[in-house]
Parts: sequence; C-alpha cells; structure tokens
Amino acid sequence: MTSPEDHHEERREDHADASVAVRARRLEERLIAAGQATEAELDAYLSQLYGNAAPVNGARMAARAWTDPAYRQLLLADGNAAAAELGFTGLSYQLRVVANRADRHNVIVCTLCSCYPVSLLGPSPGWYKSFAYRSRTVREPRAVLAEFGLSLPPDTEIAVWDSTSEARYMVLPARPDGTGELAEDDLAALVTRNGLIGTALV
Amino acid sequence: MGGQTGFGPVPVGENGEPAFAADWEARVYALAAVLRRRGLFNSDELRDAIERLPPGQYLGASYYERWLGAIETLVDEKGLA
Amino acid sequence: MTYQPGAVVRVRNTDPDHHTRMPRYVRGHTGEVVAVLGSWVLPDDNARGVAQPRVEACYAVRFAAADLWGSGTHTVTVDLWESYLDQP
Repeated sequence: MTSPEDHHEERREDHADASVAVRARRLEERLIAAGQATEAELDAYLSQLYGNAAPVNGARMAARAWTDPAYRQLLLADGNAAAAELGFTGLSYQLRVVANRADRHNVIVCTLCSCYPVSLLGPSPGWYKSFAYRSRTVREPRAVLAEFGLSLPPDTEIAVWDSTSEARYMVLPARPDGTGELAEDDLAALVTRNGLIGTALV
Repeated sequence: MGGQTGFGPVPVGENGEPAFAADWEARVYALAAVLRRRGLFNSDELRDAIERLPPGQYLGASYYERWLGAIETLVDEKGLA
Repeated sequence: MTYQPGAVVRVRNTDPDHHTRMPRYVRGHTGEVVAVLGSWVLPDDNARGVAQPRVEACYAVRFAAADLWGSGTHTVTVDLWESYLDQP
C-alpha cells in the first residue's frame, strides 16, 4: 500500500490515490452493470495470477538448464517448448531466453510500455514500469545496473533486449560457482527474479 | 521513451518493489485482462489509448492510473458501458 | 520472410501519427538481424481496428550503442516488424 512518505517518482498524495481508487471502482461497476465483466471473473483472474504466476517458475527453468545440457539447448532455442516441458503450457507470448556468460551480461527492458513474462516471473516490480528504467536502460545500462548494486567488469559486454513485439525475454543467469553438489530444487532457490531480468547476478 | 533523458534514478528498493502499490492497481490490471480476454479491445488498442492520453496526464499519472485512463477512453469510444 | 540472421537492415525513418511499435531511438539506424521471430499482426493496424490487419514477420535486430547514442559499448536488440525495415 502507499504511505505518506512515498518516494516513488510518480508521487501522489493519499487523498489523490483514494480518489483514483474510487474512479477505478466506478469504472468497474459501470462495466459490470453493462454485463461486460463480472465480479467473479475479476476475482478469479487475480486469484490465478497470484497463485500461478511467480518467479519460481522461471527459476525452475534456469535450474533445469544448469543441470541438463539438453534442456539448456532447448531453452535457448525454443523457450516455449522448454516451458511446456516443465508444465508451463499455453504461454501467450513467444518466450526468448538469453544466456549470461562470463564475458556477456543480458538485461531486459520494455521501453514502449513494460511488457514482461508475467506467467513465468509474476507481475512486474514497480521499478520495471518506471520511466527511469524504461528510458535509461537502453542508453546507460551500466549506470542503471549500478543503481541495483550490480557492478560488472569493464570488459563484460552488456546486451540489452527491448521487448517491443509479441516475444518476451528472460535471462538465463550464469550458474554460481561452488554449486556443483546442489540438487535442482536448491539451485532453483538461488535464482532470483532480478536475476531473470538481468538486474542482478545470482 | 528509450533514451529519453531527465527521469532520474530507478526506484530500486522498498518503494519500487511492489507490483501493485494499492489494491485498485491490481483491480485495474485484472479489468484490462478480463476485457481483453472477452475481445472488447486488444493489447495494441490499450497501448494506443495510453499513448493518446494528453501529455500532462501521461507524465503526471502513475502507471496504473494511465491504464485506467486508457480503459475509460476505450469504454467511451466503443460504447461499452 | 525477407531477412535472415546476419542481414544488415535499416529502420525506416518515419514518424507515424498512429500507434506503432517502432521505437523512436532506432529510427533511421542500421542494425543486424540476430533472429527471425514469429509472424504477428502489425500493431499499427491492430490498434486502429483495421478490418484485415497485416500479418508480418518480426525480427530481433541488434544495434551498437555507439551508433544509437554516440557512445557506449553495449548493444541493444529490438524486435521489429518487417515493414519497419529496409535494406540499407
């Protein structure tokens, strides 16, 4: 919930936020009254969103790729097929997965509006939708990553991916050193949402 | 807005974390999804309606307030309610 | 599908008054096709409710930061519909 000390770049007073909430509810009621949506439908949508869409999905795919070279190959060649193998069928987008390497780091953005692979990462964080992230990541990715506390060696190539079409991008983080003995579930627990977007290493 | 300057630091940290800063934001997100699923408008029409918001409203409104404005626009233009 | 991976393409330098998914920052710039994506309805048509919207191949096109911004060592890869592109 918002607080009076909200430092978010799009500041708004509590009373203004309350009035937007009223406006949103009024629109909802108009549409429900006109038969264009139902309360149950909206509730069910949010339930399944919160229940099913979470970064653990993407994390499981990364962990599988770390332990199974054939899966890794599939993941990078055909993200949708790889997702389906782990039970994530019917993605509404073409999934493209890009692999981090020692000499290359990938980071994902959508400059036009904030497209994001919600079903595999959960709903996007506020910062991903911010004007600052959308405008600056394509222009000065190193500075943006530094704001996340990620400082990459100067000779690491940074590849920025702007999600402008029906494709959605996810990063396959590099497997951390010293994890050779871990089981797949434990590996998945290491993979963070920010690691899958490219604003963190794992 | 790729490359556009002047937007300052990325809101990393607690205030930049939540997908939805308030319940109404999640309801607007759900409303857009349900109306799209019902075929009342498509994603490109929604994005277009957001882009057609007057510049003052676009820059001054929060992310989901822009979505709300866009849905209102489409509801009026298409006579949905 | 007109372009293969490795093809050099230039983004058209247009400024349409309708919705488009051609970001301003790549207009007029030259890049390399790194992948052929799916074929999808052109957003320019889809947003305007065109009766028979064009379906076109989409390409992931990589640009050098130095070309886009005059400085920087990174690359930016943008997904672009075929009618956004020309051969240079």
